[in-house]
Amino acid sequence: MSDVPTIEIRDLHKSYGKSSVLRGCSMTVRRGEVVVVCGPSGSGKSTLIKCINGLEPYQSGSIQVEGIEVGAKATDLPRLRSRIGMVFQHFELYPHMSVLDNIALAQIYALRRSRTEAYERAQKLLVRVGLEDKSGAMPVDLSGGQQQRVAIARALALDPQAILFDEPTSALDPEMIHEVLQVMDELASEGMTMVVVSHEMGFARRVADRVVFMDAGKIVEDAVSEEFFSTPRTPRAAEFLSKILTH
Amino acid sequence: MLTNYRFDWGPIWAARDLIASGLMMTIAVSLVALAISIVIGLIVGGGAASGSRPARVLAGLFVETMRNIPLLIHMYVWYMALAFLRLPAFTCAVLGLSLYSGAYVAEVVRTGIGAVRRDQFQAALATGLTRFQAMRLVVYPQALRMIAPSLASLFSQLIKDSSLASVIAVSELTYQAGAIDGQTFRTFEVYITISLLYLVLVTVASQLVMLLPGARSEASSARFVDA
Amino acid sequence: MPDVIIQNLPYLLRGLWTTIDLSLWTILGGTILGLVVGTIRFVRIPVLGTLCMLFIEFIRGTPLLVVLLITYFALPALLGYHTTAYKAALVGFVLFIGAYLAEDFRSGLRSVRPSLIQAGLATGLNRWQVLRFIVVPQAIRSVTPAVFNQYVRLVKFTSVASIIGVTELTGAGLLVNARQFHPVTILATIAVTYFVLCYALSLIGRALYARFAVKT
Repeated sequence: MSDVPTIEIRDLHKSYGKSSVLRGCSMTVRRGEVVVVCGPSGSGKSTLIKCINGLEPYQSGSIQVEGIEVGAKATDLPRLRSRIGMVFQHFELYPHMSVLDNIALAQIYALRRSRTEAYERAQKLLVRVGLEDKSGAMPVDLSGGQQQRVAIARALALDPQAILFDEPTSALDPEMIHEVLQVMDELASEGMTMVVVSHEMGFARRVADRVVFMDAGKIVEDAVSEEFFSTPRTPRAAEFLSKILTH
Repeated sequence: MLTNYRFDWGPIWAARDLIASGLMMTIAVSLVALAISIVIGLIVGGGAASGSRPARVLAGLFVETMRNIPLLIHMYVWYMALAFLRLPAFTCAVLGLSLYSGAYVAEVVRTGIGAVRRDQFQAALATGLTRFQAMRLVVYPQALRMIAPSLASLFSQLIKDSSLASVIAVSELTYQAGAIDGQTFRTFEVYITISLLYLVLVTVASQLVMLLPGARSEASSARFVDA
Repeated sequence: MPDVIIQNLPYLLRGLWTTIDLSLWTILGGTILGLVVGTIRFVRIPVLGTLCMLFIEFIRGTPLLVVLLITYFALPALLGYHTTAYKAALVGFVLFIGAYLAEDFRSGLRSVRPSLIQAGLATGLNRWQVLRFIVVPQAIRSVTPAVFNQYVRLVKFTSVASIIGVTELTGAGLLVNARQFHPVTILATIAVTYFVLCYALSLIGRALYARFAVKT
């Protein structure tokens, strides 16, 4: 295994004006790992993963993606981002473009693939997420679950080194959560490096290598998945688990 | 310096009485037209938002006709085509402005009423208010709050539009500017002066509208039209 | 058709053509100006952004007639150049409608959700690509009704060019009236013509919006 971790976060601090959101977070994600980040709302989970691909700036500490410092002035952020996929809570498909165009856009303009190649790849990925018949559809015509699967295909199209998921199922109706988790399960089993902010504890149990628990801007626990569920070390995590597993 | 033009503001200062009288005339035309256009807007806009189909059709016809004809033509119609009425130029300007702007006010009023949820009206009725009370006490105040920003921009538009009254010899600000330019040839100074005066008028007017009761309380109030 | 209109038809049609010609060039120029200024305001370029804001505030506080008097009389006097009424009107209209369109475009750009911009950035597109492929296309669609309102306003406003001596529709009508004095007939004809032009334009706007609006 290569020595350079895919993602390495060291003592990360971030604040909006006076309120600090992240207060000294450190974690490492190695190639092929699946890490689930959980914690109560407002604990800084989404902010943390948006720092990883430079969507949120940070004040101090360091984040390295494959050895490259995200916050450094010289870093080519578009290039770095094209190597890290991201899936959003509210899908964020471009509403004025067809499903196929959504998947092809960044391939053409960020990776400079030819149109033919980009669209062929997009079509293949649609097959993979089970939506081969929806290539010409507009996002508005799809259900939430279908939109999120397209969003995953859009991220995969860039052949990323890792994919960040920001609460990918929390905006979905219960009956659609399954179809999205199934795609994510498959990705994990193929060895994709994934950082998943989610409250889907079933998913975490099934596929996560590690679970990171955050509270009030700090990483409170960072444990191997079985350990986290069987014997949480902090009372906050235990309390959180009991609430989320019994609801 | 990219110009040989010699600035000379003396003649402008010397003509300050003319400018002041023009300013007063602009304010007078605008205020009278404003009052009439609000009345027109409330009646026509109320009709357009009402349940009666004939009222809606008539209101729609009025709005489309008035809005799709240039204000300048409105003024010429009263001043030249209807010259047999022998209306003073001031009245012609006010009528033209009022009918033209009234159509815009009507659209704003209609949208505002439509934006107040029907449940609000029914809730008011359910507490025992009459229909008139429900409109006056519950629907209109909410509508006013939502349309205040649009009204503010309509009224500043009306003030600027009043400059067209100069073509039918109403001695308002733009008219006086032309007269001063003709006497002094301080072309640039004159027109910059009056455009700054318009800027002040427009700013003051839109601030005044926002002083309406409740107009500012809803910061998110939607802007329906930008006339 | 009344005699006075038939006799002067070629002349009036030439006036109508000038109205259409002025409108089309202004729509083209004003839309480009509005897009540029609105985008500069949206991405908040320092200095340039402030200049654009001052330009917009100045134009929006000034009556169109005064803008035309400035481009026809005041600016040539200040800078020492010669212009024609047609050119001065065109410049004035472009500046005028461009300022209003800039504000419409800016609010359209702002209506695109920030998270959608993040999604574009997250796939590795750079800021300009995100602006070009994601923000602008949606903004243009969402501002179509407002933009067509401005176009309709503009067609009506071209009548003001008659005051500085452009023989467009209104100017032509007024000249015919000065020779033959049929104010009712002539003004009615002009009014109906403007109505048809403006109403048609607003119908086109509505149809485009119905066809291309982004449904969400």
